[in-house]
Amino acid sequence: MSAEKKYGRDVVIETIARLMIPFIQLYGLYVMMGTEGAGGGFQGGTIIAASFVLYVTAFGITKGRSKFPESWNAAFKCLGLYLYAGIGLLCIIFSLGVAEYLNYAAVPLSNIIGHADTRALMIADVVEIGIGMTVMAAFVSLFFDLAWKEESVEEEGGNAEE
Amino acid sequence: MIEWIVQHIFEKYNYWISIVLMLIGFYAMIAKENLLKKLIGLSIFQTAIFLFYVSLSDVGTGWGLRFGTAPIVWEHGIHEGYMYVNPLPHVLMLTGIVVAAATLAVALALVIRLYEEYGTIEEEEIMEKEMEIERGT
Amino acid sequence: MKLLPIVALISVILLGSLFIYVVEDVPAFGDPYSPPNRYIELFSIDAEGLESNLDAGVLPAELRTKIEEIGYTKENAFPSLEEGKYEIERKEGEGEEGWDVLILKGELFYPGLEKFYFIKEEDTKLKVYRYSIPVRWEEKCEEEMATPNMVTAGLADYRGYDTLGETTVIYTAAISVILLLRRRGRL
Repeated sequence: MSAEKKYGRDVVIETIARLMIPFIQLYGLYVMMGTEGAGGGFQGGTIIAASFVLYVTAFGITKGRSKFPESWNAAFKCLGLYLYAGIGLLCIIFSLGVAEYLNYAAVPLSNIIGHADTRALMIADVVEIGIGMTVMAAFVSLFFDLAWKEESVEEEGGNAEE
Repeated sequence: MIEWIVQHIFEKYNYWISIVLMLIGFYAMIAKENLLKKLIGLSIFQTAIFLFYVSLSDVGTGWGLRFGTAPIVWEHGIHEGYMYVNPLPHVLMLTGIVVAAATLAVALALVIRLYEEYGTIEEEEIMEKEMEIERGT
Repeated sequence: MKLLPIVALISVILLGSLFIYVVEDVPAFGDPYSPPNRYIELFSIDAEGLESNLDAGVLPAELRTKIEEIGYTKENAFPSLEEGKYEIERKEGEGEEGWDVLILKGELFYPGLEKFYFIKEEDTKLKVYRYSIPVRWEEKCEEEMATPNMVTAGLADYRGYDTLGETTVIYTAAISVILLLRRRGRL
C-alpha cells in the first residue's frame, strides 16, 4: 500500500467530483438515446466511461475498483453484444424464416404500431443501449488494466534495470 | 499554368492539410526510436485519414453556393434553401474511430509488457539485448 | 548524422509529391453535385425524338440496351427495367430539369418506388446519371424510420451489420488486454 500513502486527500477536488459525476452520467444517458437529435450508442457509452475515470482520478484506484467490480464489468460487456445479436436472430425466428437477419420490422410489434414506429423503437431502446453498455464496460476495463500497479511489479522492474 | 495551380491547390486546401498531417504521422512512426513516440505518430496518422474522408462529404461553403447543415431532418431549413451534408462518410468513419481506439489500447498493453521484460523502451537498447542473448553471453 | 531520419525525410517528400497526380480526380470541396454526394454520369446519347417517349412514361429501347451494355443487368444484382416495374417522373428545379426513373426494388417491408436514374437534356444530347445512395437516405429517413437523425438510422438499420462487427472488435480488444496484462492472480 505504499502507493496509497503518498496520495493525499484534497477537499476541493473531492467535492467538485462528487457534484459533477451524476450530471455527467445523466448527460451520457441522454446522448445514448440519440434519435431525436445528435447522438448515438458509441458517443453515450464513452461519456459514461469518462465519469468513471473522473472518479478514479479524484478518489484513488482501490476505491474505484470496489465501486465497479469484475463481475459487473463482465456482465455488462457480454449483455450488450448479446442484445444486439439476439435481436437479429429474433427477427428470423418470428417471421418463420422469411425475413433476413436484422430486419427490424419482422417483429410482431409491427402489427400493432406500424413498420416505421417499430423500427424507431428497436433502434432507440434495444440496439443503442446494447452498444452503449458494451463500449462503456470495455473502456473502463481497459483503463483499470493499464493503470493498476502492484508492489511486486516495482521490485521486478528494479531487478531488470541493474 | 497559374489557373491549374489556383484550381487544384488553393481551392482544394482541405485535402492538402490532411496529406500534410498524414506525412507528419508517417515520419514519426518511422524515424523516432522511442516506442511511445511511434504510437503517437500512429494516432496522428489515423486522425488525418478521418479528416480526409469526412471533408469529402461537405456541401456548400458559402460564396454563392447553398449552405450545408447537419444531417438531421429540419423542414424549415429546406424551405429556406439549405442542403443536408452527406451522412454516409460520417457513418463509416464512426466505425473507424472506434477501431483506432481499440488498436491504440492493445498497442499500449504490448509496450507495458516489453518494459517489464527488458527494462527499457528505446528500440536500440532492446535490439542490443536481443543480440547479446543470441550470441550466448 | 544518423541514417534513418534522412531516409525517412526523403521518402516522406517523395510520397507527398505523388499526390499531385491524384489531386485532379478528387471532387471539388463543397460541390453539391459531385459523385459521392448526388449522382454519377454514365453516358450520353443523341436525342432524336426520344423525349416524347419519356414524356409518355416509357423508356426507349436504345437507352435500355445501352444501360445493359454497361453492365447494369439483373445478373449483377441491379434492378431490372422491365415493363410495369418503373415509372418516369418529370422534375423541375434550378439547374436540374429532367426525368427521374423510379424503380420498384421489392425489398421486404420497405414499400414504395425508389429513385434510380436521372435523365437530363443538354444541347442536343441526353445525359444519363445514376443516383448515389445518400439521396435515398435523405429523402426517406423520416418516412421509413420515424427518426430525424440520419446518421444513427444509417448506423443501426441501413448499415447494421457493420456495427455488429465493430462492437465485436471492441469486445475483442478488451479481452486481449486482459490476457496480456493479468498474470499470477493479479486483480
